[in-house]
Amino acid sequence: MVYGMSKNNQKNNFLNTVTEMPKAIWDSVFRNNLPHTDLGRSKTSFTNFFLHMHPVKVHKHTLKPWFTMGLGLMSLFLFMILSVTGVLLMFYYVPSTTQAYDRMLDLRGSVAFGVFLRNMHRWSAHGMVAAVFLHMCRVFFTGSYKKPREFNWVLGVGLFLLTLFSSFTGYLLPWDQLAFWAITVGTAIAGYAPVVGEQMRFLLLGDTAVGQEALLRFYVLHVAVLPLVMTGMVAIHFWRIRKDGGLSRPDDADIVITPMPAVAANVMPATIEQPQLNFLSKARYGIQGLVRGPFTKVGNVPDNTVFSYPNLLLAELFVFVLTVAGVVLVSAYFNAPLEEPVNVLHPPNPAKAPWYFLGLQEQVSYSAFWGGVGIPAIEVIILMLVPYIDRGKKGVGKWFAKERLLANTLFLIFVVVNILLIIIGTFFRGQNWEFVSPF
Amino acid sequence: MSDKHNAQEVESGEPVSRRKVLAWLTSMGLFGSAIVSIVSNLVFIKPRATYGKPTRFAIGTPEQFPPGTRIALGDQKVAVIREGDKMAAISVVCTHLGCIVGVADTGFACPCHGSRFDQDGNVTGGPAPKPLPWYELSLAPNGELEVDKGKEIESGKWFTV
Ligand code: HEM
Ligand code: FES
Repeated sequence: MVYGMSKNNQKNNFLNTVTEMPKAIWDSVFRNNLPHTDLGRSKTSFTNFFLHMHPVKVHKHTLKPWFTMGLGLMSLFLFMILSVTGVLLMFYYVPSTTQAYDRMLDLRGSVAFGVFLRNMHRWSAHGMVAAVFLHMCRVFFTGSYKKPREFNWVLGVGLFLLTLFSSFTGYLLPWDQLAFWAITVGTAIAGYAPVVGEQMRFLLLGDTAVGQEALLRFYVLHVAVLPLVMTGMVAIHFWRIRKDGGLSRPDDADIVITPMPAVAANVMPATIEQPQLNFLSKARYGIQGLVRGPFTKVGNVPDNTVFSYPNLLLAELFVFVLTVAGVVLVSAYFNAPLEEPVNVLHPPNPAKAPWYFLGLQEQVSYSAFWGGVGIPAIEVIILMLVPYIDRGKKGVGKWFAKERLLANTLFLIFVVVNILLIIIGTFFRGQNWEFVSPF
Repeated sequence: MSDKHNAQEVESGEPVSRRKVLAWLTSMGLFGSAIVSIVSNLVFIKPRATYGKPTRFAIGTPEQFPPGTRIALGDQKVAVIREGDKMAAISVVCTHLGCIVGVADTGFACPCHGSRFDQDGNVTGGPAPKPLPWYELSLAPNGELEVDKGKEIESGKWFTV
């Protein structure tokens, strides 16, 4: 549109070409100016990639800070910080059992901002485990995994596991005491899996014992395989949020519109036929694409949506700034842990995993199979089946809805038990993993 | 147009169309190559040869281990024990999840999840499912003791020097 106009009154002489070049380049990149009208906002949403990833309009309920608490976004931004700092660290890191540890020391001594970047990477990783877990809790306690969002919950459980596995493969890389004993114990747990256990352990280690092959394998998983798989899954996660009509919200957040008679639909050429999803009979599919939910204002009903630009974008920017600020602040004051160089004869005593695995460590201290394989597998299966077990339609989009008392209580017990296990592992275990009192 | 063509065919029950055969072949091809590539990737990442340490190694002459010795040898991950003229080589790899147990006069203790073993390596507490294995000890012609980690022996089968 913009160049169309300038073309008409433009003389194609050299001077004009030069003087108009900056504007021509700018306009070709940003095909619309910053929109100030609603029409402009809609148009820009279609020509700007970052806006196009968002719906043109977003429900007011979605923007309530206490509904999502920005936890999913925070997970995403931490993932982005991790990707950037991780790529930078790769410039100095060597996945070799003889060099890795020295490279960590080099970051302290001879690399500008080396320690700071490492801190950012490590603390973002811890933060991401926490954020993803809390995000999962928020989705559960608001009943947001119910139809049609079941599969996004399943993808989410996958993302949670991948987040944990990424952290695990990451803290092995410095090849310090923590790394060595974590690989030893972690792959031994894999060995307890029925039938495929020993094979899996062998594939992970690339050898019969923990050593160079294992470090190389975990490095490849950490810097290539897992981030790529996660990026793909996050993309699908977001895509599905849009196709599911944005975030969940309570029934009373929308005006219920009676379905249009078929005749009326026929006269509306821009309306796309509604697929067989009769549970959402109030849905309209307008020119904005096959997006569930009342984004197209039909007739004279109150409009509960606002434009994504600037409302949603500003909210996202706010969470982004908050996340970056938090990571920077923590990284400025606290250094990422680095234990002693590997000593294959002496595990640290007690040899403790990072906090998020201490619950698991506490569990395996009762039984390797049940604590490390059996119970976690049952937990993951049940988590993935949650939306298919709890099929009630009530209480969606509200924190701790009364109708969901049973489901929420059960999930709360699951959360509390795991936190208790972590607390026991952290504070109540001392030398030789014996019970100690922290008081 | 082509839809009509297909629809007719379905109704009249005529022989399968060329398109159907092609679609079928293509799917089988895709499916087949997916399986082949998954299997071959797994085969690829499974190393054919590993360069483990030899299972047999010399640890020194019996005189180097006076009676009362209980020490762990780092590289070999065995504890050498001597009581009087009886000797044994006991693994120090925890049978729970592979940490190295600490060697004390009273037995072995694992720092990772608290497994405890008595002086002979039998489990006395914690999650370890099995006792620490004993390995075969022998005296080589040159007078040095040899441990063979490829040969597990019964607990309590001491080697007399
Ligand atoms: C890498 C990890 C993850 C990222 C980056 C991520 C990102 C997001 C974002 C940005 C949203 C939008 C709403 C919000 O901010 O809360 C969202 C929604 C959602 N997430 Fe995640 N998520 C992750 C993991 C998970 C997990 C572990 C679960 C559950 C097991 C999950 C299930 C869902 C569901 C069901 C929704 C839709 C919620 C609704 O409609 O209200 N996600 N996710
Ligand atoms: S590895 Fe020794 S108790 Fe777990």
